[in-house]
Parts: sequence; C-alpha cells; structure tokens
Amino acid sequence: MAQFRAKKLDLGCFINIKVIRDHTKRKVFEQHEPERQALRYIIRNTSLPQRTRAQAQLQLTQMHCYTRPTQIRNRCIMGGRGRGVLRDFRMARFQFRMNALAGKLPGVQKASW
Amino acid sequence: MSGPSCARALISATKRVKISSPTTNGQCLPLPRCTISGTNQRRHDSTVVEASRHLDLTPGAAEAPPTSITPANIDQELANLRLPRAVQATYLDPLRHPPTLGIKTAELQLRSYSIRNLEVFTDFCLRAAYYLKLAAKGPIALPRQVERWTVPRSNFVHKKSQENFERRTVSRGIKILDGHPEVVATWLAFVKKHQYYGVGMKANVWEYGSLETGKDMDAEAERIAGRLGEQLDLVGGKEGLMVKHAQTVEGMLGSEPFKARWGAYAAMGGAGGVPSAGRRVESVRVGKKAARARAGKEVDAAKAE
Repeated sequence: MAQFRAKKLDLGCFINIKVIRDHTKRKVFEQHEPERQALRYIIRNTSLPQRTRAQAQLQLTQMHCYTRPTQIRNRCIMGGRGRGVLRDFRMARFQFRMNALAGKLPGVQKASW
Repeated sequence: MSGPSCARALISATKRVKISSPTTNGQCLPLPRCTISGTNQRRHDSTVVEASRHLDLTPGAAEAPPTSITPANIDQELANLRLPRAVQATYLDPLRHPPTLGIKTAELQLRSYSIRNLEVFTDFCLRAAYYLKLAAKGPIALPRQVERWTVPRSNFVHKKSQENFERRTVSRGIKILDGHPEVVATWLAFVKKHQYYGVGMKANVWEYGSLETGKDMDAEAERIAGRLGEQLDLVGGKEGLMVKHAQTVEGMLGSEPFKARWGAYAAMGGAGGVPSAGRRVESVRVGKKAARARAGKEVDAAKAE
C-alpha cells in the first residue's frame, strides 16, 4: 500500500516491487506491534468486561493487513525470490549455490561424507 | 589461504610451533623449564663469556684459548646461538600459571571456520593470559558444529540432481581461574583489540561479591549518576545524539559508495538479520590524550565554580 511506502528508496539489496512491498510490511508491522499486542491482550483477558473485549476484537480486525506479522515473508536479497530462501544466508537456493561455489560465503564448502 | 602477509607469517609460525591437540598440551607443560636448564642455556653463557673475552685487552685474557670462528664452522656456530627467551617461548607451548583456588571467573569461547586461524589465536590468548598472571585452562576443544544444506543444482526443476554444502564451525574454549575482575577485563579487552580475522569470540564473566551486593549496586548507581549528571539520561539510547545526526546519517545510508563500503552489494551484504547489525557502539577513547582532555575539562569546571 502506497501510503506506508517510504518516499525515498531505503533498501540496499536487490530491488523489485515485491521486495519493496515486503520491506514496507515489515516496517509497518514493527510500528504497530505494541498496539496489536495490547489489543490481543485485552481480547484474551477474561477479567475484562465482555463489551471491551468485543470492541478490542473489532479494532484488531479493522487494523490494516500490513500490520499483521503473517504478511511478512523472507525474500532473497540477491534476486527477490520468495521461495526456497535459506534463512541462514537470506538467499534463494540457486543464489546460495552460486555464491557458495564462488567462495563468497565464509566457511561454506561443498560437502561430501 | 589468502590473507595479508603478516597473517601468513603468523600461521606459518604455528606450523613450526606444531600446536598440538589439548590432550598433548597437558603433557608438555613443564617443557619450557626443561629447555631453560638445557644445552641452549649453556650455549648462551659461553657466548657471553666469549664476547667479554674479545673486549678484554688485559694480558691474562689474551692468554685464554680464544674460540675461533672460521668459515667452516660458522654455520654450526650460528645454529647453536640461543634465541632470546621471548622468541624461544613462541616455539613452545604457552606457559601457564597454576590456579590457587580453582574458581572459574571467566570463560572465553573462540569460533572460526578455519582451524588454523583459531589455533593461532587461541595460542595468542593463552600467552596473553600468562603475561597478565592469569591462571588459564585450555585450549578446550569444543564440539564442532556442522551445518549442511542440500540444494538442487539447477535454478528450475530437475530435483533429481542436487548438491550438498556444509559449513563446519570449530571452537575452542579458554577458562580463566581465580582472575581478578579487572585483570580479566583487561585480558578480554586486549584479546579483543588484537582479534584475528575469521575468529569470533564470546566471553562469560563471573564476579563474586559480598552478601550486600544490592547495597553496593545502589551505591555504584549513585556514584555514576553523580559523575554523569545530566548526561545520564542520554546513556543507552543517546537520543539527543541520534536526533542531531539523523539527517547526515540518513544521507550517508542512501549514498552508493557508503553502501558499497559496508558490503551492501556483497553476497551476504547488509546482514540486517544479525541481531546487533544495526547497533553502533560509541567509541570511548583511552590513553594519555583522552586523560589529558578529561583533566582539562575538570580544571575548567573547577575554575567556573
């Protein structure tokens, strides 16, 4: 969503719209996390009046989808791919292989055992 | 093994030293003492005497049988020359102080992907501990961590043809027994100052206090508050500083050369995933200059009062 997006490019890795979108989602989630957690706490707290809890529920559902943690997906920093991204290197499997064979990943070698 | 020449020299030095596994290290402990009383020591004495004889011009000295160095035996003479103690020590296992009580005060863990770098630096740490008069135990070989990844060779389909990669992390531990907290801190600072490429370090430090630790901590907090004054609320976040430099920093972050400099375009560039990647540590200057500057400030403050 454009209203959340940074006016100036604030990323240093491979850039495409999916990467920018994911980055925006991360920032928005970070910004709204306390609010979400507070609402979640109110909803789950049985000692609070039912009305308050229902209101909190409504508020939580009405928050923008970018504020949800489930919207965040790890993407490849070298090619922006969303699948097969190795968490350790934040790279998709093929980029990982290329970089590993080029010796750009410290300590990673071809294994044989 | 590609690295700066100084580093290569250090590594080849260890090859000569033949740093052995920790099991044999234990057996080699009394070695230095043996060599001190060995033939090398005697050789050293004789050379000293020789030198004095050459200088001595009294008739009695002239009569003494001079040891002649001819081109034939010069190689042997050179080989028999004793190295300076400090140089000779580098060829031997690091010396150790025996612990007095055996209470563990610090534990340093070193990790690397390269066993040679690790061995060199562990040796260095042990020597540093010896010269700081700390009783050190080690190097303790900790379990090697092997991470493996299997990825398809191709960028698309063909799952049947895959390739395996692995990363082996070797680690060594050093235990410091009965160390004074300040000495241990000095040792850790020294080791950190001279940290070696490709070797990561992690330290646990234990301090033992009296039963009134809570009171001591309160007193310490008050002392710090008194010394820092208004600056105390800047500790940690340093909000004032951040706001002041926010513009310049933002500009720097966006500039291409800056990003290239910290490796944003490299393979694992921009490692924002690392927990402390975004943190910038305020550098504290230590030394005569800084001390002088501080003293100057105090004098100014006194004058103002």
